[in-house]
Amino acid sequence: MSIFEYNGSALVAMVGKNSFAIASDRRLGVQLQTVATDFQRIFKIHDKLYIGLSGLATDVQTLFQRLVFRHKLYQLREERDMKPEAFASLVSAMLYEKRFGPYFVQPVIAGLGDDDIPFICTMDSIGAKELAEDFVVAGTANESLYGACESMYKPGMEPEELFETVSQALQSSVDRDCLSGWGGHVFVVTPAEVKESTLKGRMD
Amino acid sequence: MSKSTVDVPQRGGFSFDLCRRNEMLEGKGLKPQIYRKTGTTIVGLVFQDGIILGADTRATEGPIVADKNCEKIHYMAPNIYCCGAGTAADTEAVTDMVSSQLLLHRYATGRESRVGTALTLLKTHLFGYQGHVSAALVLGGVDITGPHLYTIYPHGSTDRLAFATMGSGSLAAMAMFETKYKEGLTRDEGINLVCEAVCSGIFNDLGSGSNVDVCVITKGHKEYLRNYQLPNPRTYVSSKGYSFAKGQTEVLSTKITPLKNNLVVVAEGEAMEE
Amino acid sequence: MGDSQYSFSLTTFSPSGKLVQIEHALTAVGSGQTSLGIKASNGVVIATEKKLPSILVDETSVQKIQLLTPDIGVVYSGMGPDSRVLVRKSRKQAQQYFRLYKEQIPVTQLVRETAAVMQEFTQSGGVRPFGVSLLIAGFDDSGPQLYQAAWGSEILCYLQSTIIRESTFSVEAAKMVDPSGSYFSWKASAMGKNVSNAKTFLEKRYTDDMELDDAVHTAILTLKEGFEGQISGKNIEIGIIGTDRKFRQMMFTNYGDNIRIPDTSMAQIIGVDGHIIVLTAAEIEDYLAEVE
Repeated sequence: MSIFEYNGSALVAMVGKNSFAIASDRRLGVQLQTVATDFQRIFKIHDKLYIGLSGLATDVQTLFQRLVFRHKLYQLREERDMKPEAFASLVSAMLYEKRFGPYFVQPVIAGLGDDDIPFICTMDSIGAKELAEDFVVAGTANESLYGACESMYKPGMEPEELFETVSQALQSSVDRDCLSGWGGHVFVVTPAEVKESTLKGRMD
Repeated sequence: MSKSTVDVPQRGGFSFDLCRRNEMLEGKGLKPQIYRKTGTTIVGLVFQDGIILGADTRATEGPIVADKNCEKIHYMAPNIYCCGAGTAADTEAVTDMVSSQLLLHRYATGRESRVGTALTLLKTHLFGYQGHVSAALVLGGVDITGPHLYTIYPHGSTDRLAFATMGSGSLAAMAMFETKYKEGLTRDEGINLVCEAVCSGIFNDLGSGSNVDVCVITKGHKEYLRNYQLPNPRTYVSSKGYSFAKGQTEVLSTKITPLKNNLVVVAEGEAMEE
Repeated sequence: MGDSQYSFSLTTFSPSGKLVQIEHALTAVGSGQTSLGIKASNGVVIATEKKLPSILVDETSVQKIQLLTPDIGVVYSGMGPDSRVLVRKSRKQAQQYFRLYKEQIPVTQLVRETAAVMQEFTQSGGVRPFGVSLLIAGFDDSGPQLYQAAWGSEILCYLQSTIIRESTFSVEAAKMVDPSGSYFSWKASAMGKNVSNAKTFLEKRYTDDMELDDAVHTAILTLKEGFEGQISGKNIEIGIIGTDRKFRQMMFTNYGDNIRIPDTSMAQIIGVDGHIIVLTAAEIEDYLAEVE
């Protein structure tokens, strides 16, 4: 078993029209035993910037705390929020610093930049950035997520449709992954508001 | 002062704090992870006016295609570019770092960067890490001393060549170069040969795929031709796509937070009198 | 006696609460060649005298306006060698920032970092303060205004260690009384030998809606005010950051992203398209002709 599969996770981010969605499953397991069904993997950095961290739960929480620290220092120093691109570079730099003893996480970053242009990106555990214009996925369910998103994604979706699409892609993918599931957590962010929903899913 | 109390930006260099823990986990039978690789066919050649670099655009993670259109030709200096193969994070980090060093060097000297300088900076870094920084590079550029093309291996060895290939598709690409390369190629012949070589990698090597990126560097000028060829367009997309009815997903709870700075106060009353 | 017995170490205050060495450093700046900067509505200009110790010195080998990043430039008054230390440290700082965020460092951040270095040298043992003041000019995207047509966000910072007693900016003068390492944002400012005259002149000439071309004229006129001898393209330097300045000639160097074949003219460009441009001797002569 790979260390990435120890706790199980599924993460996906999708771009819509002037908006983005980021979604995760809610399971925390220890190998095949489920420990919690309300685990948080998606975190808010600021109003228009979210990060999802898949992989080993202990590293997810540690890395998140370090990121919050760095972002708050940046806010105090520069009196502004970080742009999604800059934040992605920061995460990448922090991961690459541990090139030879990495955090076992694969982040997904989604945010609205200047002029509310959506930005999504993912990277591997040592910070190799991958920018995408449509969707990015991570976690133990990544293979099925790739498949689901590849067929379900459409460019320029409105927030409601984006929500349905990302939720359906997530649900159908985690149903084919033993290690993730137990409902979902979806954020749809538009320039005007953030809609945060919890989804009902299979409980087996 | 212990480092953990103040987690301030590092001065650079690697941190090895998690190595012991990760070794322990591996010792318990958890498999080591795979990193994102660039699989890759990267090529370069010298033509009559300078250098042409070429690359495919597929990034892989094991057997999964992680990115269908990534960029493998990295900027080093205005007159120097570098193709990267191997672990994606390493190629990105090493080229960014050297590019930054070159800029400072240009500011300090007031001269255009030389390809040899970039080469030395890259190889000393790679040699220092004894192959653990796994970047295999094709470095090309035109400076005051003329056009230069080099390959750099992860352990720090380098070759100076007229035509070069690297990455998992290097054999397929080299086959094309060995058959067709000649001295004094024109720009168009050069670009075509580079494309053929990259395509040979795209179609015959599973680690390489998608599109062809090309970069042409001549004296005082460069041209980055992103997605110069798109030999693998998407054919399977349905015209309508899936559409889901609103409310199809079962939702347990919803919380809507309006964003403060976007709140628009709509004036209800009459406009203020002047 | 008095203060002098407390001037052996920088870290020692005199009983009157002064850091005497720092005041000496400011004297060094005060006797340096005049430099000035003006923030226009569509860009920034920085200018300086370039008086050489002897006519035998090859003036093309002296470059007083320097780049910190592709879009931040600096000019100094005071001791040239000291400025090089700061320039080197600032460039490195800017690159560190860039490598972390893949974004050019905002001017304020770079100024703060540079000021921090200067401050450090007023509080450390075994060192002396820098005998320079810097004018740092650049533009960044602080806030959404950046994308509007007007350059609302370019910032001109006066990084200095001066206690200007006769400053004509009387309100700000109060704020400026503090030791080395302080920094302010200015609409226009001057430093070096002719500070007070130059500042008085700038106060009279400055308007908020001034355009870059006007600003260059004003800069030249200000320099001319206190200039000993005949002003020419060879003994002053002018750097510009603006929107309309597209690519132009260069001398032996090209730093920017777009490279072109160097041409033989004396001109030098050390930036491209919206970046910093240092005027050529010929261009300065053109401006001079307009001024007269």
